[in-house]
Amino acid sequence: MAVQRLACQVERLIQHGGRVYTVVLRPERPAPVFRPGQFLHLAIDPYDATGFWPESRVFSIASSPSKRDRLSITYSAVGRFTTRMEAELVEGRQVWVKMPYGEFVVKSTTDVVLFAGGTGITAFTAFLDGLAPAASQPIWLAYGARARSLLIYRDLVERAARRLPSLDVSYFVEEPEASPQEREMIGCVSVAAMWPRIRRPDHAEYYISGPPAMLKSVSQDLRAKSVAAETIHIDAWE
Amino acid sequence: MNAADALRAQINDLVRQYYDEKLSPRPFEPVKDLVHFAGRTFDADEVCHLVDASLDFFLTANRFAERFEANFSEYLGLSDALLVNSGSSANLLALTALTSPKLGDRRLKPGDEVVTVAAGFPTTVAPIVQNNLVPVFVDVNLGDYTAIPEQLREAIGPRTRAIMMAHTLGVPFDLDVATDLAKQHDLWLIEDNCDSLGSRYRGRLTGTFGHLGTCSFYPAHHITMGEGGAVVTNDEGLARIVRSFRDWGRDCYCAGGENNTCGTRFSQQFGTLPFGYDHKYVYSHIGYNLKVTDMQAAIGCAQLRKLDGFIARRRANFDRLMEMLRPYEDRLLLPKATPHSEPSWFAFVISVREDAGFSRNDLSRFLEAHRVETRSLFAGNLLRHPAYQAIPHRIVRDLANTDRVMDQTLFVGVYPGIDQVRLDYMGEVFARFMRGERV
Repeated sequence: MAVQRLACQVERLIQHGGRVYTVVLRPERPAPVFRPGQFLHLAIDPYDATGFWPESRVFSIASSPSKRDRLSITYSAVGRFTTRMEAELVEGRQVWVKMPYGEFVVKSTTDVVLFAGGTGITAFTAFLDGLAPAASQPIWLAYGARARSLLIYRDLVERAARRLPSLDVSYFVEEPEASPQEREMIGCVSVAAMWPRIRRPDHAEYYISGPPAMLKSVSQDLRAKSVAAETIHIDAWE
Repeated sequence: MNAADALRAQINDLVRQYYDEKLSPRPFEPVKDLVHFAGRTFDADEVCHLVDASLDFFLTANRFAERFEANFSEYLGLSDALLVNSGSSANLLALTALTSPKLGDRRLKPGDEVVTVAAGFPTTVAPIVQNNLVPVFVDVNLGDYTAIPEQLREAIGPRTRAIMMAHTLGVPFDLDVATDLAKQHDLWLIEDNCDSLGSRYRGRLTGTFGHLGTCSFYPAHHITMGEGGAVVTNDEGLARIVRSFRDWGRDCYCAGGENNTCGTRFSQQFGTLPFGYDHKYVYSHIGYNLKVTDMQAAIGCAQLRKLDGFIARRRANFDRLMEMLRPYEDRLLLPKATPHSEPSWFAFVISVREDAGFSRNDLSRFLEAHRVETRSLFAGNLLRHPAYQAIPHRIVRDLANTDRVMDQTLFVGVYPGIDQVRLDYMGEVFARFMRGERV
């Protein structure tokens, strides 16, 4: 897939609280073809073809590949660049994007187990959104966040679960004072909690997307369950 | 508009004026002007694009290369088009990509056979030899000059692993047979589409049937960037391998001047390198540097917009030449399309019949003496050339027609730079020769 650089206008900014934001971008022309799970680079400073690509950060493309006139990302303002985004992005502002990149693409032919923490869910949203109702692929999703209000793609996940009988969803909420709702557990995304639900653990591929501590703990726990390293896929960025 | 943008606009206007003064086509002067067999066809757009890219002074692949790759892959309906510095490089990369260890058991290994033809351009075959593979030559049909389909079937042996052939001068080879063989015997199929951009087979563009296709953008071709070519594919894995071989063999896919596009530059394990060794300098293939500059790609962007018009003019010129030369069919074997194909003609290919009463060279000499440029069908029979006489190879039956091509075949141009006046002049020169005039 040919990488393209596009000027985009910030069309909509959604504040989810807890310094988590979704940005809806309108590209100057339809975005290039991409696959669910791929990511883009976003630059705040203008790109000029006479020079180099400005500083940028990578974000999973949360929106569906079938709607290439809009691109969505979700970020948590935790570092220098995302703090700049929090301060400088306003609706109507121009930013630059280059895309698509990445090979964190969920296989469509095997059982899959998806572990998503916080904004890491965006690596899976396009996949879940694009699954046809007839899809019979068994999918287990463990989706966790610091607070229930930060399960920001819960609606999308619920819609997918209603549409897809083969999708099994478990939510994890870290707030200790929360009382669990249906299909909800208190605590971090956990392999131990998911393990009894997975029908054929030896036949599944495992995908992990979330904060570094979660990537580490989930991958270690999977290894401890004798899951083969080549079936564990981690959406890790520096 | 800032000062730099204003200057750029002013330069653009001046370039257009310069084109009008210096580079725009002049009226044809018979006898004085050569009727070329091929050539660049362009207007002020290409020159403006070239200067625009020069003013960026990024030099290596940049916005125009990016735009060309996107637009070209979209034109073909494929996932990937990778720009390279020539069609020959495209052939080298396409075949070499299939030797990648990343393909596991499907990789081509030394001694594996690749089916091809000897009547064509050498750099369709050269990559086979350069990769220590064995070319298996099949003969060609006279008239369409593509591989004889029955011989393609006969060519398949226990070590045959790929088919790599050109669609000859715009004429698609039998893609029903080639794709069927590829499926049946699990063969790789590479379409050398360098001379056939825009040709169709059963309505679908050639270059899009195989695992990989190649294109050339040398000035003689359907579109040009001076030097240039592309490898095209609908397989992202193969595209990544081709990119690696093109870009020094590196594992990293960052564009020139960029870092850490993958976001994992210092956190991966490769071979026995220390963990986190800089991904930018990790080599997964023994590669080349076959990239283009942005100036070349800029010309290509302007040309690509004109491609459909160019193809239509090539077809119209072909039809007109056919009309003018049909009366001489008793002495000249005129070109024909293969079944189910709609060629985007590269040239008008003629074979002098054995009982014509004159030789191919008699005709060539006459045409050239009257300023109508001719070419042989490239190598004729490649196996008779010094460099290829000793290569390990296999021949299916014999190459009798290939030898006839070497002895009896020539082509003249149909490229879009040939206008009605030139076509009429070509017809007149042919008529004089056929009436018995000689040099």
